[in-house]
Amino acid sequence: MSAPVDLSVALGPLALANPILTASGTFGYGLEFAHLTDLGRLGGIVTKGLSVAPIRGNPPPRVCETRGGMLNSIGLQNIGIERFLAEVLPGLERFPPRVIVNLFGVSVEEYVRLAARVEPVAGVAAVELNVSCPNVQRGGLEFGQDPEILARLVRAVRAVTGKPLIVKLSPNVTRPVEIGEAAKAGGADILSAINTLLGMAIDPVSRRPRLATVRGGLSGPAIKPVALRVVFDVARQVGLPVIGIGGIETVDDVLEFLLAGASAVQIGSALFRDPTTAERLVTALADRLAADGVGTVRELIGAVRLPS
Amino acid sequence: MLPTDHLAVVERVVEHPLPYFSLLLAVPRGWADLAAGQFVMVRTGSGLEPFLRRAFSVHDATSSATGDRIELLIKAVGRGTRALAALSPGARLPVLGPLGRGFSLAAEGPVALVAGGVGAAPLYLLARRLAERGQRFDFFYGGRNRVDLPRLESFAALARRSGGRLVATTEDGSAGASGLVAEPLERALASGEFRFVYACGPMGLLARLASLVAAHGLGGEAALETPMGCGFGACLGCAVPRPDGRFALCCQDGPVFAFSEVAW
Repeated sequence: MSAPVDLSVALGPLALANPILTASGTFGYGLEFAHLTDLGRLGGIVTKGLSVAPIRGNPPPRVCETRGGMLNSIGLQNIGIERFLAEVLPGLERFPPRVIVNLFGVSVEEYVRLAARVEPVAGVAAVELNVSCPNVQRGGLEFGQDPEILARLVRAVRAVTGKPLIVKLSPNVTRPVEIGEAAKAGGADILSAINTLLGMAIDPVSRRPRLATVRGGLSGPAIKPVALRVVFDVARQVGLPVIGIGGIETVDDVLEFLLAGASAVQIGSALFRDPTTAERLVTALADRLAADGVGTVRELIGAVRLPS
Repeated sequence: MLPTDHLAVVERVVEHPLPYFSLLLAVPRGWADLAAGQFVMVRTGSGLEPFLRRAFSVHDATSSATGDRIELLIKAVGRGTRALAALSPGARLPVLGPLGRGFSLAAEGPVALVAGGVGAAPLYLLARRLAERGQRFDFFYGGRNRVDLPRLESFAALARRSGGRLVATTEDGSAGASGLVAEPLERALASGEFRFVYACGPMGLLARLASLVAAHGLGGEAALETPMGCGFGACLGCAVPRPDGRFALCCQDGPVFAFSEVAW
């Protein structure tokens, strides 16, 4: 009998029992899935984006299906950090997954306030910053679009948190590596990539956009090659551990992201098709590594064989 | 009952006049107790298209010595529903449910049930449960034409059993009275026959009913349909505007709402 496969990974200061996480916005606050899948088997969960105050979100329709994926424009609806900490986090302790909180604000001050608020909370394993939201002090330009603004934001958050700090990169920029380097300069420990791609769909019969806000974020297998390319570039050039996100549904998808340089992955829209996808992938990854005679998942990270 | 994701077995595909059909599914013990108006999320294929599951209200739910069954009344209109129509008995289908909040069954006295087209789907289980408890209802059933009134005779039989009647309307006059279903309903509500209205159908019909119900000071509930990502409150995709300017979730707060809970 062969030795059990070691799925554990360390992303800088963040140690995970396995590299399978759930992506923000596709897993609610975690408890929505508690009766559908075994939360304790996951490497961790990333919450829906949380803000200082609750946000009511965008008018409907907010989601539509596309070929090989879906568009969403939820509008960052969430219950706010205080309700999350008071009402949801204690409920998660029964299972218990590693909980990564996804935070966003419209100003540097809001991000700092959120990070400082969760800093003493033992149940929060790490912080992931959603920087794909408009900066009201900069005329609505997204924080993650400008390297200098992003570096300043990350530095300000770094000053108030000792928790592992993840910055989630947007693919809607010309040079994601440059943004990743800015996050590193600001003190980020880990990069996650990618957030959704901006997209659009039209109903040809009614001639109306399928989303009330016209544009939305594309996710699902349709974006996987884009995500893989960004992960590959960022992992090689920035020098921070990377969490790969984008259209992951099968164990082959997981292997691709690991080989491209990701140290862990987040499962997103696939959870809507099958709520057990992440848990299934933990088992499938262990089985696959055992079958291939790979002793530890760490052997695969960045092990893509490039043409010489 | 907490929802589970279950591989349901297709027992029968019942054809109604095209494009309507029913899917009879063997489901876990206990599902027969679900509330009328609750729904399931069905994965219609294993490939990438359609990408998302499809939401279907439960048309009927029964229990026997051999197990529990649900029936889905479906209109084959797109890729997902056509794939379901092509299934054979014995096929296994991922079905997540029971989901959402159903009809309240709290109304006293005679009630009106109003269906527009395939909106009749969740009202069958409601009608059967009302008839079984001896509560009288009239069933107002409207569609574009005769085909658009699937299971018309079954609804008529249930209405008679309850002591009430079925009122059918079609836009082309091919069955029942010619016109829209809201018209005979409006006359019935004006005569003070009913204190409560249960409805499901197109948003235009439900919005009209909402103002009728409010104008007559009646209670009422409607089952809504919206685009939906997950079906259990995780994606927040199925927003329904509320009168206070905030959003409810169709999958969790609904799909059945009191008329007064929705900003029509």
